[in-house]
Amino acid sequence: MMSRIFWNDRVVPFRPGETIAAALGRAGILSLGPEGGPVRGRVFCGIGACQACVVSVEGGAPVEACLTLATGGLRIGSMPAVGGRND
Amino acid sequence: MARPSSMHVAVVGAGIVGAAAAHFLAAAGTRVTVLDASGPAAGATGASDGAVSVASKRPGPMMELARHARAFYGQLEAEGVFHGLFHRRSTFLIAQNALEAELVSQHGADLAQAGERVIAVARAELMNRIPGLGEGVTAALEIPDDGHALGYQITSRLLQRSGIVVRRRASVSEIVVRDGHAVGVALAGEILSADAVLVAAGIGSAHLLNLGDILIPRKGQMIVTDRASTGRPAIDGHLMGASYLAAKRGIVLDRSHIGLVIDPLVTGQFLLGGSREDNRSDHRTDAVTVSAILRAALELYPPLGARRVVRTFAGVRTASRDGLPIIGRHPHVDGLVVATGFEGDGICLGPFMGESAARMILDRPLAADLSMLTPSRFARAEACQ
Amino acid sequence: MTDAPILVVGGGPAGASAAATLAEAGLRVLLVEQRDQLGGAIHRQPALGAAHTVHAPARHRRNWAELARRIDAAGSRIELHTGTVFLGVDGDGRHLFDDRATGRVVARTIRAAVIAVGAVEKIHPFEGWDLPGVMTAGGAQVLLKETGVPPTGPTLVAGTGPLLLAVSAQLAKAGNPPVAVLERGRPWLRVNALLQMVGAGQQLAEAASYAATLLSHWVPYRTGTDILSVREDAAGLEVRVRRSGSVHSLRARHLLVHDGIEPNRVGIPIPDPEAAVPVVLAGDGREILGADAAILDGRRAACMILARLGLRLPDAQVEARLKAARNVQAAISNMFRSALPEPTPETLICRCEARRLSDFRSLPDDASAREIRLMGRFGMGVCQGRFCGSTIAALRGEAVPSVIPPRWPLRPVSLAALADLKTDELES
Repeated sequence: MMSRIFWNDRVVPFRPGETIAAALGRAGILSLGPEGGPVRGRVFCGIGACQACVVSVEGGAPVEACLTLATGGLRIGSMPAVGGRND
Repeated sequence: MARPSSMHVAVVGAGIVGAAAAHFLAAAGTRVTVLDASGPAAGATGASDGAVSVASKRPGPMMELARHARAFYGQLEAEGVFHGLFHRRSTFLIAQNALEAELVSQHGADLAQAGERVIAVARAELMNRIPGLGEGVTAALEIPDDGHALGYQITSRLLQRSGIVVRRRASVSEIVVRDGHAVGVALAGEILSADAVLVAAGIGSAHLLNLGDILIPRKGQMIVTDRASTGRPAIDGHLMGASYLAAKRGIVLDRSHIGLVIDPLVTGQFLLGGSREDNRSDHRTDAVTVSAILRAALELYPPLGARRVVRTFAGVRTASRDGLPIIGRHPHVDGLVVATGFEGDGICLGPFMGESAARMILDRPLAADLSMLTPSRFARAEACQ
Repeated sequence: MTDAPILVVGGGPAGASAAATLAEAGLRVLLVEQRDQLGGAIHRQPALGAAHTVHAPARHRRNWAELARRIDAAGSRIELHTGTVFLGVDGDGRHLFDDRATGRVVARTIRAAVIAVGAVEKIHPFEGWDLPGVMTAGGAQVLLKETGVPPTGPTLVAGTGPLLLAVSAQLAKAGNPPVAVLERGRPWLRVNALLQMVGAGQQLAEAASYAATLLSHWVPYRTGTDILSVREDAAGLEVRVRRSGSVHSLRARHLLVHDGIEPNRVGIPIPDPEAAVPVVLAGDGREILGADAAILDGRRAACMILARLGLRLPDAQVEARLKAARNVQAAISNMFRSALPEPTPETLICRCEARRLSDFRSLPDDASAREIRLMGRFGMGVCQGRFCGSTIAALRGEAVPSVIPPRWPLRPVSLAALADLKTDELES
């Protein structure tokens, strides 16, 4: 039985019933990237309101890490950065 | 008419046309007051896609004028006025079945006839340029000289550069006319005197000029997605479905009230549009129309399935009864110039039309023939009835 | 329409209480909750196999057990959808839901609505509040309840209000006591407020037990302390704080911030109990009265709907008890009242669009709400202004008028799910 997800290809274990945010946090992953972006993703409000923990999902639309249960084999990664100052 | 430096002009409407007129009037030394019932870019200017596109125009005078207007963007960009706000980008006219292919090909011929560069792109090449296009996309025409600018940014820049202060929440109730000459505008509890008045108030022009039966509000619902890329457009071109061309050319295809465009924004987001709902001037969006636009967009460009919708909004275009803009001197009132009815073409035409309106007020020769757009045409039509 | 269910949005104490009350009166209820289980932030239940359960006052445990029992007893009268995000009401009046399990947006016809979506935390911005490692104290508490495991490494808890105490004590009990609790206010000096707290026995007892926990773990509670800025380096976070006029630095891996809570109202339908489809707000999403009062407020909301439908429930002295809760909340805010430090020009105000205070200052003084959004980009990002809204209101001296009608989707939603819209309307 698989109980791991992949964060930018890094293996992250999780317990059944746990959110993506909980699994990433326990693995010590605080920055949800992207590297070099002026503002990086991170788990912040824990209730889906701030949208700062949104991660991209292979094969679908991005989701809030704090609301979404981890499921075996899920591949997730950083969102594109907010661009320049004229963005 | 008086010398510009001794004139005061009241511009009613702080959309892209009013802002451009005010900018060029101020540049000529005229004192200008811009009034808006809300604030800059509060109407259609702030609720539109940013296509500065000849590709989408109806053949005939509109296509010609759009070419002038787009060139004017290029000129202002080169002069620094629009620095950083106007970008060249291709428009792709896309067909997804035989009927649409015929329409796109006819439109391409019309564009070429007008002097526009038109490049036929086969599917293989197209997939290279824009990977992920839907299976139904067989071929496209590329119009490489089109551009992009956001109406509210252009408006803000024009006002800022000329140091014009907009009077916000200044709702004009009527144009004050004395002896057949416009001498000012009436606001709540105040008359603002002026030597000339420009009405560029979109659908708000209707009650000021009694154009209620000539101007038609046409609502458009649009969708903004999250970012697919960082600090640059996610795809290299503006995708325009044949349904959009059909709507512009007055042809009814199956999705009659949706003209599909997929507009990649500089932020990496997509703007998807839009519906065409006549006689709707509210700003509500509804899930049934939005989902229909999204289905059409997904069919054309399936990678949108990995995006999220962050916002829906509606803009109200001001269309005229005969489908052409209205710009020119008022047939019965001296010193009153009208510029409205740009429908969905205001961003593309706006700066050029605003500059033309400024010339009309200053009695200077125009850079293009706008006689077919004169407001008098409706007066004439009325007289013939 | 009379066949249609009453919608209850939010499965926290207010929503659960409203749903149970409506179902007990014999009505059909559609209860939607964004998470995989009911409980809300306050009663967040541990995931299967979580290390251990987080300490919570017995009163809260009893309250939730009772609500859960009532929901169960209602059986099929409550149609429960977890993993379902309320997206708001569209321009034609459709109530829209993002059903994450099926990947579709669903439009449902409803008879009335109780919206109980709780509160969001207020965060007074400072340079570096956007850094990874900084999160809200309430968010950290929800995660702690879910996993039973505190964040690893040195942790600072800062801001203002009683939640700082609760979270810090729970972190300590779970095995990682904070380095310090940095409280901006000076609650001990507000004698009047302390006197007002008489009658708030439960809250005081709770606070005393948290304080005892912190004492026993040697966690310092520093009042009158502001956070000035946070920087990140290879070893973690450097937090600059100011206390009694002197500035010094602290180090941490996690900084948990919290400046109180406010109702989560962005995009929420405008309440109108008299409308054709009546809409009533309940719980902290209506007025911040706390978890106990939220249960009462859920009942109050249900009674309003029932009265509108011609059904009456016996008065349980709800209004009087809500008033008592209001007095306690007023005393608490009075107790923790403090002046906010002025953010620096470089401080990020809008995280979603990376906009700083200097960007806000460059807008015209009389900028309209629309200009603030279009030119400033404030409130245009994915959080829709839930976190910058109160800061901008404070900077302008008045709230930015919300978009009317309320904007939908009130949360970002999968484009494919919305394209696949399913409605329960009959084909016309």
